[in-house]
Amino acid sequence: MAMVDKTQTDLAPSGAAGTGLSTVPRLVPAMLAGMLLLASVLLPAFMFETVREQPMPGLGPGAWPGAILFALAAFSALWLLLEIRALARSERTSSLEAPAEEETYRYGKALGGIGLVIAFGWLLPVIGFALATGLFLLVWCLYGGQRHPLVLTLVPTIGTVALLWMFMGLALMPLSRGVGVFERFSVWLLTFIGIY
Amino acid sequence: MTPTVVLEYAKAGFAASAMIFSASIAAAQDYPQRPIEMVVTFGPGGGADLMGRQMARLMESSLGVSLPVSNVAGASGNAGLTRLRTNPADGYTVGTLISLTVASWASGLGDSKPEDFRIISVVQNSPSFLFVAANSPYQTAEALFEHAQSNPGQLTVATSGYGTQDDVTLKLLAKGGVQMENVPFQAPGERYASPIGGHTAVLYEEPGDVAQFLEAGQLKPLVVFSQERHPAFPDVPTAAELGHDISGLDNFRTIAVHADTPAEIVGILEDAVSGAVASPEWQDFCASTYSCIEPVTGDAAQTMITDFFQLVADQLNS
Amino acid sequence: MQTINLLLAGFQSAFELAAFITVVVGLLVGVIAGALPGISFVNAMAMALPFTYAMGATQAMLFLGGIYVGGVFGGSISAIMINVPGTPASLPSTWDGYAMTRKGQVKRALTIAVTASATGGLVSALMLTFLSAPFASFAMRFSQPEFFAATVLGLVSVIAIAKDKPIITLISLLIGMAIGTVGVDPLYGQARFSFGIPEVESGIRFVVVMIGLFAIGEVVDLVASNRDLRPKKTDGKPERVRLRDILAVKGAILRGTGIGCMIGVIPGAGATPGAVIAYGVEKQINPRGAEFGTGVEAGLAAPEAAKNATTGAAMVPLLTLGIPGSAATAIMLAAMMLQGVNPGPLLFIMDPSMVYTIFAAMIIANVLMIGAGFGVAQMFSTLMRTPPAILAAFIVVLSLIGAYGVRNNIFDVYVCLVFGVLGWAMKRVGFPSAPLVLGVILGPLAERYFLTAVANSRQDYSVFFTRPISATILFIAFVFVLWSLWPTLKSRIGRQPA
Repeated sequence: MAMVDKTQTDLAPSGAAGTGLSTVPRLVPAMLAGMLLLASVLLPAFMFETVREQPMPGLGPGAWPGAILFALAAFSALWLLLEIRALARSERTSSLEAPAEEETYRYGKALGGIGLVIAFGWLLPVIGFALATGLFLLVWCLYGGQRHPLVLTLVPTIGTVALLWMFMGLALMPLSRGVGVFERFSVWLLTFIGIY
Repeated sequence: MTPTVVLEYAKAGFAASAMIFSASIAAAQDYPQRPIEMVVTFGPGGGADLMGRQMARLMESSLGVSLPVSNVAGASGNAGLTRLRTNPADGYTVGTLISLTVASWASGLGDSKPEDFRIISVVQNSPSFLFVAANSPYQTAEALFEHAQSNPGQLTVATSGYGTQDDVTLKLLAKGGVQMENVPFQAPGERYASPIGGHTAVLYEEPGDVAQFLEAGQLKPLVVFSQERHPAFPDVPTAAELGHDISGLDNFRTIAVHADTPAEIVGILEDAVSGAVASPEWQDFCASTYSCIEPVTGDAAQTMITDFFQLVADQLNS
Repeated sequence: MQTINLLLAGFQSAFELAAFITVVVGLLVGVIAGALPGISFVNAMAMALPFTYAMGATQAMLFLGGIYVGGVFGGSISAIMINVPGTPASLPSTWDGYAMTRKGQVKRALTIAVTASATGGLVSALMLTFLSAPFASFAMRFSQPEFFAATVLGLVSVIAIAKDKPIITLISLLIGMAIGTVGVDPLYGQARFSFGIPEVESGIRFVVVMIGLFAIGEVVDLVASNRDLRPKKTDGKPERVRLRDILAVKGAILRGTGIGCMIGVIPGAGATPGAVIAYGVEKQINPRGAEFGTGVEAGLAAPEAAKNATTGAAMVPLLTLGIPGSAATAIMLAAMMLQGVNPGPLLFIMDPSMVYTIFAAMIIANVLMIGAGFGVAQMFSTLMRTPPAILAAFIVVLSLIGAYGVRNNIFDVYVCLVFGVLGWAMKRVGFPSAPLVLGVILGPLAERYFLTAVANSRQDYSVFFTRPISATILFIAFVFVLWSLWPTLKSRIGRQPA
């Protein structure tokens, strides 16, 4: 098993951010198993918002998800037990292995990137696809270290127009135009570049 | 492009955008000026999708703009209705609203009500039938019902689900002594394949959705749930003739908009739909799906939806 | 003999300029759309549907058939080159395909992938042509219990794929199956786990989950690790691929093709379970099975052959019975019906020339795919030279467009973002995400097949074991799981006293 050759990297300091975690901190699998166990025990109570009163034939709509969550609870418990046993014996191996990165992994940069992607998704229906995409392309290029003014102007503008043409013009997808003043801007833009 | 050119473009863009931001929303008399989105509330390939696509194509000529179709499937059609409800009520979003979705409200799905929509027109309507495979041991409705009466619950009926109008029909039949087992098939293709392959005894469906199997002689209609016999199947008796007065649970398909859409725009759309329905292409289409009707519009259409909703809700809660 | 004559006539009409161009354009559109992360071939076919209005029924089918064949392969280009499966069916191709790319064997991986895909597709197109009638009547003997059994086989294959960590793989699969239960249930029309939010009733689609888990996580890693996407020339075998390299994996290709042809006929399953089962089976059978996941050619060839072998097979029930088994074939059905053509047994009698032109076009498309695949792959490797930041930005935009485009619903974009964060975190801690996606695909299928089968047998649960075909498949699944877990079990038992 691949775990064997991981043991030497295990000795490296694994908590410090920025150096790249080659092995998952020892407690993570146990915590994950515990959280899954808790979730699968609690979730069945939140299955239905409205329940039809009259009797339903067959197994009913709750049977399948109930069975899946029961199985999930059982195997999470098993995993948790195995983890606790491994911790008690202070075995050096972890059941989860982080990807082996040859390069350094910058957690701050990754979290910032996730933030940008979420912001993009959140802005999409508000300011419309065209504006959000142009902005996102610009910001992401900056974030990724592109500084050339030509790149920073051409990539967002040509990219956005090309995407608009491809998906709203050709494929006729109803991508968001935004709300209020942004909608009027999107409609104008779409008319301007000839899609509407 | 040099930075100065970009700046020029930016200036021009700013001027233009200042113009559009001050401009008021286009008035109803200019409607329509840009493409109208046709929201089909089911995925590509189903009856609602074919109807929406035909309608969109045929309305284009009279409205003078294109009507791109977007399939917004999910939650028995309710996901698409959410889009219809949340987009601006400016007539640039029209959608399909079909009986299956209205019935789903009665079983607690979605948060839509009949009042949330303005029905432009009911364009298709078809009663449901019971079908059997060509080699079925029950070649008449009498034989089928007789067997069901003497062996309650032994015959299986492929339907679209529990809590739908299919279910209501079977419940009403059971009350009349004809008790058959409801077998829901979510995927339409499997629903039709199962009786043809001999795995399920009976199929409950509207004829338009199984037209190819009827033409090929693989399925045979036994009984229609309607006030009178279907003109395309004059030999098929109604349930009422056999002592089960079940009707009003027809499969209808409508074109609807947001309830707050201005009356002039509704009028323009109504004319476009009427024009489309009168076209020979539409007549061919509805004839091949056994669903031609005189379009129902205005308050009559609105009442039709509300009544249907009430009927299903009453039956499900009885 | 009559079949041959009809097929020759079919080839004649398929080689007419307009028809031929239609196939080629469809193929290119399919490969490119499939290769774009986020845009799956089903998406592309739905988008192409309005373009078929102006065509005749035959031409529409040639166009959509081209997109289908090309799109199912296209997803592997991005899977192999940037570890982002372009369509769910290409998920297994990332395991050994991307591993080969990291070893500097990108060209080799693409050659094997396109050859295996074309072979699988060609065999199934030939099967469609010559054996569709017997296959269709065989398929009609399958009903819900058999479909359920086949889905179980798919679920079992997922466990077999990761035999090192069966418990964690199973947990990931179960999480996926639990996610698959969100939304309206298939039989009762009741919303589950909606927490009072109407949008959640629409449920969570597997394509959206896959885009989130794989594309977004990968893009974030790209910016965080300064990884270079430019193909590197390092160690490993020489880049030139010879015929004997292909012949070396012919066993894997043939097994994958066979599995794909069988799975493709089953409604609802389609290319993804076909590829996964083929990978799982190959991992057991192949002598190098233990090395799978490190860039083994056979581990790439088998799922590639299988997923394209489902394309012809999936068209058997559509053309012979008029029953679409998958989203892709449902779109084809819509295109035909919009032209006033009803597929089914009558079509073979009424318009055999149309049917055989489609057959011929499917055969041609699979042969041409080799060229189209290489062309688009070349285009993509040129694109790889752009700075990773720019590439990553477009992958994000395309991913969110793809998530939105599944149902034109902004809710799916939010779901995609949630799974993007989750996918990144799972990758960081090494929790396997592929079983989760497969759980979201197979879980809902298993549920509805199970419940409908039970209802159809009037609540008799023994139906899965009393029907011979279903019982056989379940037995195979049982043997399969034992077989794949045996090494782990043996070592566990062996270790116990220590």
